Amino acid sequence: MDFQWIELIQSVAVVCGIATVLALLMVIADATIGNYGEKKIVVNKDKELKVEGGNSVLTTLKEQGIFIPSACGGRGSCGLCKLKVDEGGGDYLPTELSWITKEEQKENIRLCCQLKVKNDLKITVPEEFLNIREYEVKVDKIVSLTHDIKGVTFALQGGDELDFKAGQFVQLQVPEYDLCEEPVYRAYSISSVPSDRKKFDLQIKYVNNGICTTYVHRHLREGEIITMNGPYGDFYLRDTDSEIIFMAVGSGMAPIRSILLDMAEKGISRKAVFLYGIRTAEDMFLYDELKELENKLPDFRFVPSVSRPDETQKWDGETGRITDILQKYLTNPEKTEAYLCAGERVIESYKAKLTELGVKEDKIYYDSFGGN
Amino acid sequence: MKQSPQLGKAEEAMKPGVITKEGFLGTDVRHLVEILTEDDAEVARLGLTHEVVADRMKYFKEEGLKGEGLLVDVGDDFEVSVESVRGKLACPFGEPGLISKSNVRVTNTRIGKAVNYTDFHIHMIGEHGFYQGKGSPYRVSPKELKEVLAINSEE
Ligand SMILES: Cc1cc2nc3c(=O)[nH]c(=O)nc-3n(C[C@H](O)[C@H](O)[C@H](O)COP(=O)(O)OP(=O)(O)OC[C@H]3O[C@@H](n4cnc5c(N)ncnc54)[C@H](O)[C@@H]3O)c2cc1C
Ligand code: FES
Ligand SMILES: [Zn+2]
Repeated sequence: MDFQWIELIQSVAVVCGIATVLALLMVIADATIGNYGEKKIVVNKDKELKVEGGNSVLTTLKEQGIFIPSACGGRGSCGLCKLKVDEGGGDYLPTELSWITKEEQKENIRLCCQLKVKNDLKITVPEEFLNIREYEVKVDKIVSLTHDIKGVTFALQGGDELDFKAGQFVQLQVPEYDLCEEPVYRAYSISSVPSDRKKFDLQIKYVNNGICTTYVHRHLREGEIITMNGPYGDFYLRDTDSEIIFMAVGSGMAPIRSILLDMAEKGISRKAVFLYGIRTAEDMFLYDELKELENKLPDFRFVPSVSRPDETQKWDGETGRITDILQKYLTNPEKTEAYLCAGERVIESYKAKLTELGVKEDKIYYDSFGGN
Repeated sequence: MKQSPQLGKAEEAMKPGVITKEGFLGTDVRHLVEILTEDDAEVARLGLTHEVVADRMKYFKEEGLKGEGLLVDVGDDFEVSVESVRGKLACPFGEPGLISKSNVRVTNTRIGKAVNYTDFHIHMIGEHGFYQGKGSPYRVSPKELKEVLAINSEE
C-alpha cells in the first residue's frame, strides 16, 4: 500500500472510526483490484496482448513474457523500469516523478512498475527488451577475487542459452532469507565472453548490509539454483575505428573485461587503454589475464593504478587516481571513445576530466552502478 | 507519551513492507515518539545536536567521494570509502522525493572501529533526528557516531 493511501485512511479514521475505514478499504480494494476487466496492450504497433487489467504494467508484461529492466521488485525505488507508453497511460503519478525528467515526460516515458493497466494501452518496447527472458541457472563456481569481491560462474540449464552483447548486465533474484522477506532483484554486469552462451561470470562486490551482496557473500553455495533474467543494457562497444579509453574501479571491471575478451576473440585491434583504479596492490585481481590480452591485442594496454602505494607491497605500475594519469594515456582525445563503469558520482568525475582533456561528450559511454 | 498524527503516519510508513520490506523499526516495540525522544536526550547528553552529527557524516561522505570509488585517507585517523548503490528510498516522514542509499564507510584507525551509513541516514538524522529503531540492522546510534567520527561536543 503506498503512502497516500495510508494518509487517506488515517485521516478518515480520525473522523469516522474504524468501521468507515473498513468500508473504505473495501471500496479501494474493489476499485484497485477488480473491475478493470480485460484490456488490450498494443506492443510496437503490431503485437496485440489481451490482459487482465488492474496490475502494474511491469507485472502485466512480465506475465506475458516481456521483461522490462527492474531492480527493486517494482517498488518505485530503482528507476530502471522506464517505458514509452504512447496511449492510455493517463496522468503521471507522484511516485513516478522523482525518476522521470521533463524531457522524458514529453516523450511519454513512464515508470511502468507504478503505472497500472486501467485502460487499453499502446506501448513501445525496445527491440532488445524482447530478447530478455527469465532463466533458472546453476551456481557453477564461486571464487574470492579480492577480500570483498566474489567471482561467480553460473551455468544455464537444459538447452537454454544466454545471447548477450559484451557489456550487458543481468538481474539476479535473491531468494527470501534473513534480510528480505520476499525475493528482490539486483543488476550485475556480465564479465565473461558472449561466445560462451552456456555459462556466464559476474563479479560481485560486498556492500555493507546490502541484501543481495550479503546473500552472495555469506549464503550462496555452489550447486544452488538461482532465478535471473536478462540481458539488459546499451553499454557495448560501438562499431567504429576510434581509439578507446576504458575507465573503472573495483567491480566496474566486469563489463569491460567482457568487452576486451570479445575484442580479443574477434580480433578487433583498435588502439585501446584500460585504466583501472585500485587502492593497494592487494586489491588487484585477474592481473595476469588482462596483461595477457596485450599479447592478443597488439594495440591494447592494461594500466592498473594504485591510489595509495604501500612500501610493504611490491608495485612497479602507475600510482594515483586514474583521473590523475588520464592525460598521459589520452593521446588523441578528439578521436577517442570513452567507456566508463562505476558509481554515478565517480562517472561524473571521469566525464569532467575527459571533456576537460578534449574528449567529445557524445563519445563518452557509461554504465552507472547508480547512487552517488 | 502521546504521539502526534504526523508521527503516527511516519510510524506506519516505517513498518515492514511499506517503504522497505524490513521497515525501519527493527524489533523495537516503542512508539516512534519514544524512540525520537530517547535519542534526542542521548544526543543532548553527548553535548551534540542532530545537525552537528549529520554535518560530520556529510563531511566524511564528501571527503570519501574524492577517492573516486576507492578508499581514501582523511586526516591521520580516518579511512573513508563511498560505495555507489543503485536504488533510493522514500522518506517515511513524508516529504516528496527519494534519497540515495549509497554506502559510506568510515573507519577510525586510531580506535580501530568503523561505522556504515548512507545519504538516507544523513537525511533522517539531520532532518528528523531519527536513528532507526533498536534491532533494525540499519540503526546507527548517536554514541557510536560520536565515538567513531570523533565529533566534538558543542561547548
Ligand atoms: C547496470 C548495473 C550494473 C551493476 N553491475 C554490478 C557489478 O558488476 N558488480 C557489483 O558488485 N555491483 C553492480 N551493480 C550494483 C548492484 O546492482 C547493487 O546495487 C549492489 O550490489 C548493492 O546491492 P545490495 O542488494 O547488496 O544492497 P542494497 O540492499 O540495495 O543496500 C544498499 C545500501 O543501502 C543500505 N540500506 C538498505 N536499506 C536501508 C534502510 N532501511 N535504512 C538505511 N540504509 C539502508 C544498506 O545498508 C546498503 O549499504 C550494478 C548496478 C547496475 C544498475
Ligand atoms: S522496478 Fe524499480 S522503479 Fe520500477
Ligand atoms: Zn525526510
